[in-house]
Amino acid sequence: MSTVVARSDLARSILSVYGIITWASVIIGVLVFVVLGWILLRFRDRPGGPLPRQIHGHALLEIAWTIAPALVLLIIAIPTIQVIFRTQGVAAPPSALTVTVRGWQWWWEFRYPTLDVVTANELHLPVGRPIVLNLEGPDVIHSFWVPQLGGKRDVVPGRVNQIVLTPDRVGEYWGQCAEFCGASHANMQLRVIVEEPAAFDRWVAGQKAPAHEPIGDAVAGKELFARHACVGCHTIRGMAAGALGPDLTHFGSRALFGAGLWPTTPDNVAAWIKDPPALKPGSRMPNLGLSDADAKALAVYLISLK
Amino acid sequence: MSAHADPQPHGASVPAASHEHASVRTYIRVAIILTLVTALEVGVIYIRALTPIIVPLLLVMAAAKFALVVMFFMHLRYDARPLTTLFLGPLLIATLLAVALMTLTGAFLIFGR
Amino acid sequence: MADPTSVAGTERSAVYHPARAHAAPSALATILSWITTVDHKRIGILYGVSAFAFFLLGGIEALIIRLQLARPNATVVGAETFNALFTMHGTTMVFLAVMPFSAAFFNYMIPLMIGARDVAFPRLNALSYWIFLFGGLFLNASFLVGAPPDGGWFGYASLTLRQFSPGLNIDFWLISLQILGASSVLAGVNFITTILNMRAPGMTLMRMPVFVWMTLTVQFLIVLAFPPITIGLVFLMFDRFFGTHFYDVAAGGDLHLWQHLFWIFGHPEVYILILPAFGIVSEVLPTFARKPLFGAPVVIYSGILIGFFGFGVWSHHMFAAGMGPVADAAFAMATMLIAIPTGVKIFNWLATLWGGTIRPTVALHYAVGLVALFTIGGLSGIMHASPPVDLQQTDTYFVVAHFHYVLIGGSIFGLLAGAYYWWPKMTGRLLDERWGRWQFWLLFAGFNLTFFPQHYLGAIGMPRRIYTYGPGRGWEFWNLASTIGAFGIALSILMFLMIAVRSLRHSAPASADPWDGRTLEWRIPSPPPPHNFDTIPPIYGRDTFWREKHGDSRGRKPTPLPPAPDLHGIHVPPGSFWPLVMAAGVLVAAVGALTSLAIVLAGALVLIVGAWAFALEHYREPVYVDQTGNLGVDHRKLAMWIFLGSECLLFGTMIATYLAYRGRSVIGPHPHEILNIPLTTLSTFDLLMSSLLMVLALAAVQRGDRRQARLWLFGTALFGLFFLGFQVYEFTHFVNEGLTLQQNLFGSTFFVLTGFHGGHVALGVALLLTLWILDLRGRLTVQDAPKVEVVGLYWHFVDVVWILIFTVVYLIP
Repeated sequence: MSTVVARSDLARSILSVYGIITWASVIIGVLVFVVLGWILLRFRDRPGGPLPRQIHGHALLEIAWTIAPALVLLIIAIPTIQVIFRTQGVAAPPSALTVTVRGWQWWWEFRYPTLDVVTANELHLPVGRPIVLNLEGPDVIHSFWVPQLGGKRDVVPGRVNQIVLTPDRVGEYWGQCAEFCGASHANMQLRVIVEEPAAFDRWVAGQKAPAHEPIGDAVAGKELFARHACVGCHTIRGMAAGALGPDLTHFGSRALFGAGLWPTTPDNVAAWIKDPPALKPGSRMPNLGLSDADAKALAVYLISLK
Repeated sequence: MSAHADPQPHGASVPAASHEHASVRTYIRVAIILTLVTALEVGVIYIRALTPIIVPLLLVMAAAKFALVVMFFMHLRYDARPLTTLFLGPLLIATLLAVALMTLTGAFLIFGR
Repeated sequence: MADPTSVAGTERSAVYHPARAHAAPSALATILSWITTVDHKRIGILYGVSAFAFFLLGGIEALIIRLQLARPNATVVGAETFNALFTMHGTTMVFLAVMPFSAAFFNYMIPLMIGARDVAFPRLNALSYWIFLFGGLFLNASFLVGAPPDGGWFGYASLTLRQFSPGLNIDFWLISLQILGASSVLAGVNFITTILNMRAPGMTLMRMPVFVWMTLTVQFLIVLAFPPITIGLVFLMFDRFFGTHFYDVAAGGDLHLWQHLFWIFGHPEVYILILPAFGIVSEVLPTFARKPLFGAPVVIYSGILIGFFGFGVWSHHMFAAGMGPVADAAFAMATMLIAIPTGVKIFNWLATLWGGTIRPTVALHYAVGLVALFTIGGLSGIMHASPPVDLQQTDTYFVVAHFHYVLIGGSIFGLLAGAYYWWPKMTGRLLDERWGRWQFWLLFAGFNLTFFPQHYLGAIGMPRRIYTYGPGRGWEFWNLASTIGAFGIALSILMFLMIAVRSLRHSAPASADPWDGRTLEWRIPSPPPPHNFDTIPPIYGRDTFWREKHGDSRGRKPTPLPPAPDLHGIHVPPGSFWPLVMAAGVLVAAVGALTSLAIVLAGALVLIVGAWAFALEHYREPVYVDQTGNLGVDHRKLAMWIFLGSECLLFGTMIATYLAYRGRSVIGPHPHEILNIPLTTLSTFDLLMSSLLMVLALAAVQRGDRRQARLWLFGTALFGLFFLGFQVYEFTHFVNEGLTLQQNLFGSTFFVLTGFHGGHVALGVALLLTLWILDLRGRLTVQDAPKVEVVGLYWHFVDVVWILIFTVVYLIP
């Protein structure tokens, strides 16, 4: 979550400039405060004292304290420009993995076009490999932000914004939408899982596999899913092809759901299915008036979709 | 108290309000030039050979008409200098902003289409 | 001395009667005198009281926000309410608190500081106030109907489009902002005219107090920055109400357009918010250090530079939007450049204090507080100027900390410095210094506790505009601390209120010059009489009053100058109902916009009738015949030129949008298929000739030739009507051919641009016909020439805009 912990080349570039600017700012700030403090102590009025010397100005001083800040700004400007051009608008290397990120109200869709994988809210990336994130959106402006992997970039309907980065440390990173996008803006989070290439390949294989057939308790849930409005919005490859909500084909493989909000447990999922707007204000997924039993059955089914 | 039209304004450093005036003949001349330039503008868009430079050409002609109306009909040429500054400043800012806006939204000036 | 209230040649008397002042006026008389007041001092007080009330409202909104965020997953308010709260908090604080607080000081102090008896257009001044008040009430009426704006104070499309915000919330917001913008622009024109044209003899521009300079700069910023956002809001309004496509991505629209238009306004707006405070500090520090402002010309020039260059940095609010590296780099460099004049001011303030004998009054505490806190806010601002860093900080609590440091630590502290400084002048009483110091420290502590930790919260990843957050991220402690600090702020403001009330009841009277001040307002009684100055004061240089009292830097007192000639005598403008009526018309029309067309028309009717009466109210007053000022120009002519400058921005924005959107329509009809060049050439020629007729009309009026004046005035109006006829024909023809407002992007941009222009022509025709009728009734003589000239300027400008539109829309292939 911290913006000063860097886990990618992009984040490190940013941090290098961040450090320079922070130091410069702190030094200047301390200087000003020390001078101000000293002035306030030294030049207190002694009642009945004479008027101080009525000085109107000093040209050389003006020049000096115009040039000094300009020099400090130069120190900040140069690395700024360098990092801007190093991190933006550069062609990604051919080995890069491309991911299409679509920001919806209020969840994240991830498509890996070269791998034929579609998932939601949990982004898996192989460590050490360049990644190109193409940001698009069908509804309002969102902003994709995973602090430890780099700065944010807006999802702007009508254009494709791009983030290019190479994650360099295995781990789990939290992200959140960073552009006010309506009622549940606060509830639009995501998880990024950076893993070793072998682990990533295993994950990809699992995502490409067809949906698991339910067994035992999960069977009832599948029938409920097919019967209710679920199929209108969600995709479960092989039985439903809705395109308005997250792809659920491997819902159970995701540790958190609801856009990074709750652990994927039967009780949590059942509570969500029963009354989404109560948990996520403004949610486009309506309260379908399901009974507790039905909601639980659906939950069990979805969690079985590993 | 006083209700007289006092020609001397209570100013700090005041040039006498300019009484140099355009005559009716000047106005009519300006009107004729405006008409001619308008006709010219409409004419040139039909001349194929001028297509590569049509945009700057039209803009220059429009600017000329703009300037004539402002300087003569709006009397800016004969008025106190501060008024010219007061108008040109915002005009400049408006122009720069318009160009910046068009550049930033990708319609690089008006040449790109 | 002449009776200060009599106005030669009329029976109408001013509402203020010196003879009756000793008898306690009835409550009704008091209320009437306040709602019809055109006295800049009273208008200043009205602004101040209203601003304080809205400030309390915005503060309550903030407290609820902080209560909700004090703990993770709190349920103090729900998501929708929270989103409305931060939207209203931001909008209220910017437009209904800080700006009107500044306006309170502009109104009260500017005429005093330049040696004038009032502003250039006292009734227009009242109009600005009432429009502001009604706009603010209208905005907050949204709470009463359960639809408070909830799209953020910055209202980004697409979220604010009807599709994603179906209710009235955004409608309240966009209408209110346009109303408030109109109020501000009118005041801007008024104050620029006042400052440029109504200074006492001897007060050259460089001898004006720095507060007056900062005010002048701010008024230019207002006049130039509000038109772009007005257009942006108009586009949004048309999208929401009439189905246009300005922000419709599917039709070829660009969502960045909204952001550009908003921030082209939004960035100058933050300088509008801070420069008055800078001006106040530039008066307070010298007064209480007992030495002149160090580098006054440099402070003035840096203020002007900040204002001017403030127009070139707006996209630093859009570093995350994806404009590309070149744009990012350009705006980053421009933003860093602006830091230089800002830093220069801070250094000059420090140098002002250096070597002085500092009297620790509360006003000084606040001024020094601004220097300290704005330094922090300015430095975090420099961090934001670097796009890579900003990409981690923007839209987090880091930037929330930044702007609260500059807006509270800067603007509010500056305004409070002004309050403690000028309270004796405005009320004739002193605010208790001892309690005031406690109030200062309580605010200082509360403020820093609230906002300093927010830098840290942002740095550890807390985004902004979130109604809640989960536990386990380490955000809990500092959010709670921040909330406690917020209540400290609230207590300190209540304390200020109590100190103020107590002062009005119990304090000993204040003298004219309790601080040994440097500027002209301290030369007159506290509070000043309605006419401000018995005689126009002589001007001895910058810090003119100080020079009178203590002499120059070597203590040499100047040769006393005789009082300046008082050409207009002591004329106290009488009160007027019409500003209130006009503002009421605007309010009714606003209500109608959300309810029914009939109510809009009713409001428009009230407005038009009010405007008519307003214009003719003082038509025959001899004292208003000659309104020439310092620049050798009539006030009204100067005001019109300033207004036209504003119109350059208005039409410039619309033309730029038209050009930006050219060729982006997804479906036809397209321009080349439908525009009728021959016909439009004719109408262009018609409008050009109408300008010729206009100058002939003016020349006739100036000669006293009433017959010719009638002829040419009518001719101009007639040609204007022909132009409108052409336009009606064209619009009808287009609609028949399938090009409507809603059809495509071209339809949207074309009809709005040419429609607005047509509306301007229609207004011009109405003005011309009014003049013509006045002439028919023998009421247009040589001395009315300035009025005809002013209408002429407006008319020619409308012509000139058409010259551009004709070329850019019709001719360019």
